[in-house]
Amino acid sequence: MAQLDNIIHQTVRLQIMSSLVSLDQNEQVNFTYLRKLLKLTDGNLGAHLSKLEQAGYVKIDKAFVARKPQTFISATGKGRDAFAGHVEALKEIIHSGKG
Amino acid sequence: MNVSQEEAQASLSAVRDVMDQTHRAIASAYANPLLILWGALWIIAFTTAHFYLAYAFYIFMAMAVIGGAGTAVIFRVFRTKAPIQETYSPKLGWRIAVFWILLYVYVVIWLFLLTPFNGLQCNAVLSTAAMFGYVVMGFWFGSTFMIVLGLAMTGVTLVGFYLLASYYCLWMAIMGGGTLLGTGLYIRARWR
Repeated sequence: MAQLDNIIHQTVRLQIMSSLVSLDQNEQVNFTYLRKLLKLTDGNLGAHLSKLEQAGYVKIDKAFVARKPQTFISATGKGRDAFAGHVEALKEIIHSGKG
Repeated sequence: MNVSQEEAQASLSAVRDVMDQTHRAIASAYANPLLILWGALWIIAFTTAHFYLAYAFYIFMAMAVIGGAGTAVIFRVFRTKAPIQETYSPKLGWRIAVFWILLYVYVVIWLFLLTPFNGLQCNAVLSTAAMFGYVVMGFWFGSTFMIVLGLAMTGVTLVGFYLLASYYCLWMAIMGGGTLLGTGLYIRARWR
């Protein structure tokens, strides 16, 4: 039986992971773009990303693109597995009818 | 952790919404400039070819050169400005370019092996080859959108070839170019 993931279950982190796992494994998203997509503030997104990074669920890379510093975020394999398990657990709750 | 059915349902619904939003954002960022470029070129080239059939070869060669150059410019711009970047090796970019060159080299070889062929057959083979390339790219990058678009456009080409041969170029301009351009404009307007 799949287990709910405490770190991913929080609403904003669930949104962040949903967005990141939608990308291919070889893709990463720009921090500013993710912030706009999820309608978050810099601080809010940064704080939740730190939690996810500590758990090993996301990878944060800083790079210079066209001479400008940019931050890119991607889901790790561990993060993708944890997200899949969390979604599976949510489905099991719905199907089992248990609270 | 105790989660009710309602909470689980709401969470799954939020997951689906964000995933859809992200997929649309990706398509909007990458696909629409290419679709608009190639759609406009198809409309111009096929319409011109319908009225000036004798110059069809030169018209489509010009389309291929302009389209290829435009595609290269779009990829170069997106390499620095796209919100979603590929982390794979730059070698893959070369592999993609080599795939397209090889595809067209082989198509030209097959056309010569099947000589004689008329302009209509030549055009239908080149058009379906391009769509085959879309489908392969779709499988390569896991893009259902490209697979569906490639298969749909192949169907459009075959319908025009077998059922509307006299109006094939106009059919391809409207249905082929129009579909590409329309899809590009729709994505640009609605998915941002």
